Amino acid sequence: MLTYIIRRVLILIPMALVICFLVYLGLEMTPGDAVSFMISPDALSSMDPAQLAEMREALGLGQPFIVRFWIWLSSLLQGNFGYSTSGGVPIGRILSDRLPATLELSVAALVLSTILGSLLGVISALKRGSKTDSALTVVGMLGVSVPEFFFGLVAILIFGLNLGWLPVGGRMMPGYVTFWDRLPHLIMPASVLSIMLTAGVMRYARSSMLDALSKDFIKTARSKGIPEWRVNLLHGFRVALTPVVVLIGFRLPVLLGGSVIIEQVFQWPGIGNEFISAVRGQDYPVVMTIALLSVMTVLVASLIVDVLTAVIDPRVRLGD
Amino acid sequence: MTDTQDVAISVRDLKTFFYTNNRCNRAINGVSFDIKKGKTLCIVGESGCGKSVTAATIMQLLPRLSRIEEGEIIYHSEDGDIPLHALERNGRDMRRIRGSEIAMIFQDPMTALNPVYSVGFQIKESLKYHTNLGRKKAHEKAVDLLREMGISMPEKRVNDFPHRYSGGMRQRAMIAMAMSCSPKVLIADEPTTALDVTIQAQIFELMDKLKREHGTGIMLITHDMGVVAELADDVAVMYMGNIVEAGTVDEVLRNPAHPYTRALLASVPVLGKGKNQDIQAIRGSTPDPYDRPKGCQFAARCDFATAQCEAMPAETHITPTHRVMCWRYKELSGHAAE
Repeated sequence: MLTYIIRRVLILIPMALVICFLVYLGLEMTPGDAVSFMISPDALSSMDPAQLAEMREALGLGQPFIVRFWIWLSSLLQGNFGYSTSGGVPIGRILSDRLPATLELSVAALVLSTILGSLLGVISALKRGSKTDSALTVVGMLGVSVPEFFFGLVAILIFGLNLGWLPVGGRMMPGYVTFWDRLPHLIMPASVLSIMLTAGVMRYARSSMLDALSKDFIKTARSKGIPEWRVNLLHGFRVALTPVVVLIGFRLPVLLGGSVIIEQVFQWPGIGNEFISAVRGQDYPVVMTIALLSVMTVLVASLIVDVLTAVIDPRVRLGD
Repeated sequence: MTDTQDVAISVRDLKTFFYTNNRCNRAINGVSFDIKKGKTLCIVGESGCGKSVTAATIMQLLPRLSRIEEGEIIYHSEDGDIPLHALERNGRDMRRIRGSEIAMIFQDPMTALNPVYSVGFQIKESLKYHTNLGRKKAHEKAVDLLREMGISMPEKRVNDFPHRYSGGMRQRAMIAMAMSCSPKVLIADEPTTALDVTIQAQIFELMDKLKREHGTGIMLITHDMGVVAELADDVAVMYMGNIVEAGTVDEVLRNPAHPYTRALLASVPVLGKGKNQDIQAIRGSTPDPYDRPKGCQFAARCDFATAQCEAMPAETHITPTHRVMCWRYKELSGHAAE
């Protein structure tokens, strides 16, 4: 098991390097360089070219691409992500400010959708053909097909404005200290963000569960005289779980992507919100760092999925 | 038939129907038989004749859209008779009998074991619900069972997952699971169909040993006449949901009275007769269960059919143990005796 995990992690390293390279290449190919961002266009046109070249040399821009990539990569590994071009704030600080908010939102949505989705999917499968099943199917289809910003706006209208139960947006207010202070703010965006994933997990869990329940070993389990709940959960759901875990794992990055829109709708001060303002302000280093972050999330998510499937399904455990 | 002293399960006039799209399939249409303690009852017949449904009915493991329509299944337990047909399908009483009193092994050992649990776990599951053994005792028992079933290094193998077992080993593990609570009756639904011929012989030997040593009554579903000749004490031949002929193995194999039994026996190729031997296939195919012919179900395929066969023949006893459902059994059994 341990060798399996180590092997999976080792495979990750070259992939991560290639991705870093591509991201840096993208940064390189954007028009202008660091100097042109540092100095306003008016000042730039009136400056002496020799002075500009000197500045470039001082910043290390005169060095070949590969060398600069290496410098960027090694400082990245040391936790130095560079500086935002608008305002010169270290990107590391932006991330440490924004990341907790996004993680809070994503993790809440993930937990909510996993539990709710599996539960509803299993209920749907166990009561297949019933009215409950049909109703859940329709709701699931709606959840998958209606874009989440629409749900977000409707939710704000109903629960925020008309009923006044929950705050309309934002995360922190003066005087908020604990997580419980922030909880009312979290409920709506997390629920809306989890809708699509819940619906997906539910549909998937349903078919996966039906598939498992039709297997011969379910009959074997029944023939042993064990109670129905044990047949359904320990034998049915346990086997149905593997594909569901894979689905949830691969939806992790989507959750980050989805939060870009939801953070905008709910004015949530997370990475997604920062990403949009960085794009608007042509703040390339920030855009690139966030893009890199999302890609790394995909890699890590696939690693987690692989390890989890190996834990859940003994057939996957190779070479143990 | 015989007195109930040595009968473990008696089935009387059992009817199990399946319902699909408002149509009814009379999968079992009134069968009666006894499973005797320490004896093997073989149920033979071609695919779709109701063999497996009979097994599933006794275990109350029928699919949703099917039910026991009529008849009774009585389990003669040590504490008195239990009417299995009247018990709730997955209710407490039925579950208490399943696995502990009546156990079942299935056709395909590749799919009958849960792939995500170790073999030991799956054996111990039975023990957990039917015995008072503690964790450690149950584990030892599982190891002992595997050893008894001829699995080498059972202490190690008990923790292995099913995918590390071969087909024959999995069926042994299934039998270990079934025998874990020393059931009075073992129902085996074509236990060797998915296995190699050499493994087949080993599995049957194992079952025969269990029968002799534990006095387990075995109901063996098969379509292999060789197996019947080898293992059976009693035979029941099924066709389209009826037992068309039943009796002791000698009576049925040596003196088959029903044309279907005769045709089945004639269709078996014999080793040593050469490749040009005349294998007599039964002509035609089984009728659509939703659109059954009137009268004798076999009439359309029968070489001996007469106008009389338009009506369903009643069950007739040739000897106290040998019974048949055919109008012309007298001429036929005489014919066979020649």
